[in-house]
Amino acid sequence: MKGLFKGLAVTLKSMTAKKVTISYPDEPLIMPDRFRGIQHFIPDKCIVCNQCVRVCPTDCITLTGKPNPDPEKKGKVIDTYDINFEICILCDLCTEVCPTEAIVMTGNFELSAYSRDDLFKDKEWLTANDRLVRKDNNNIGAPVKGGGK
Amino acid sequence: MGDLLREPLTWGHALIFAAAAILLMGIVLGFVTYAIYFERKVIGWMQLRVGPNRVGPFGLLQTVADVLKLLLKEDTIPRKADRVLFVLAPVLAFVPAFAVLAVIPYTQSLYFADLNVGVLYYVALSGISTLAIVLGGWASNNKYALLGGMRSAAQMISYEVPLVISIVGTVMLSGSMNLRTIVEAQSGGWFWNWHFLPQFIGFGVFMIAAVSELNRTPFDLPEAESELVAGYHVEYSGFRFAFFMLTEYVYVYAIAALTTVLFLGGWHAPAPFLAVVPGLIWFILKFACIVFFLFWLRATFPRVRVDQLMGFGWKVLLPLAIVNVFVTAGYIELFIKH
Repeated sequence: MKGLFKGLAVTLKSMTAKKVTISYPDEPLIMPDRFRGIQHFIPDKCIVCNQCVRVCPTDCITLTGKPNPDPEKKGKVIDTYDINFEICILCDLCTEVCPTEAIVMTGNFELSAYSRDDLFKDKEWLTANDRLVRKDNNNIGAPVKGGGK
Repeated sequence: MGDLLREPLTWGHALIFAAAAILLMGIVLGFVTYAIYFERKVIGWMQLRVGPNRVGPFGLLQTVADVLKLLLKEDTIPRKADRVLFVLAPVLAFVPAFAVLAVIPYTQSLYFADLNVGVLYYVALSGISTLAIVLGGWASNNKYALLGGMRSAAQMISYEVPLVISIVGTVMLSGSMNLRTIVEAQSGGWFWNWHFLPQFIGFGVFMIAAVSELNRTPFDLPEAESELVAGYHVEYSGFRFAFFMLTEYVYVYAIAALTTVLFLGGWHAPAPFLAVVPGLIWFILKFACIVFFLFWLRATFPRVRVDQLMGFGWKVLLPLAIVNVFVTAGYIELFIKH
């Protein structure tokens, strides 16, 4: 009997309590900084070290490099960089392993598409995906710029 | 309205009565529309949601859209159903629900029929809806519908008894079965003149039995969706289903109005200095409180088990109601009788 009134009190109180509903599709949902969303790629930073391809547990990254167009400079620059989001598990390993932070996570997560072809994201798309980029890319232990002296 | 009813019936009067009935129908339909909206809002708030808010401003047109959808749906009748009864049942459910509203007095002068046996009329007619529900369940030729119908019959019959007996105390105190006289008997200016305090047992039993009569949570066993799919209206769709829904909410209207009249002093103000506010406003306020209470109950309580339901009805409510009658009789005999 007492429990019935307790229950009524609980519901009455929750009537004026703060609602948990969010108007998600109307207002974009801002994820926390550590959220593992769709990667953002910065071609200028990439040194074509192939580490992200090797670490990827689902083999969803493919990249090709080409010789640096500036004959003065050594090394390669990126030519193509594709991530297949049909199989990418957004595990954060590629961004973790990248020595130059050329590939970083963002807070974007809206990947649904009508065609599976749309899930194959190329270099241009990933470069354009520059909103809500993760600010702290967890370079703990990595040499700070100008460090190691 | 009262003077008109006493005069001989002419074509003009008949027209006025018909217009009044249509007006009441409009008011009731408006009430049902916004009762459903309000119910969904209240339950939403109590579950930390915001409730319907997409259709129209604040979702005010949500029910309109829902009804429109219902009316556009295909009207199906199962091949093995008893066609005549299947078609008849929703109508039979709705007619008494609307007919009982005739005896409800809203204010001193605003009422439709001044029946000397208003209480009896209400109770007798509302019993017919049970018949319609059983009929609908039977005619559907579906085991869930039949089970829902049988449960409904068992439940409504066993709760009608305490419901009626709990009213007896009120009737004894007012010395009349006329709902207007019952409200008059609660005048006196203060809210403690209303029947819900001297008749608190009757009021409690009445409220519980009323919720059960309405087939609403926590007594909504006839349509327990987890066990019976939807109960007696499994096979109904579109317009006929809308009629069952409508019946349910018109009964909410009727019960809330009846509770206001029987126990909460009808159009009387709770204190003499508040009597400047018109009686209709007080009636609507009390009415709205009861409707809110019904929604509040629904948002709070789980459904009771079928054996608990029957046991509670016969072993708790009925004896309490009878005790209430005897206590009231003793009180009248000892203190009021001159």
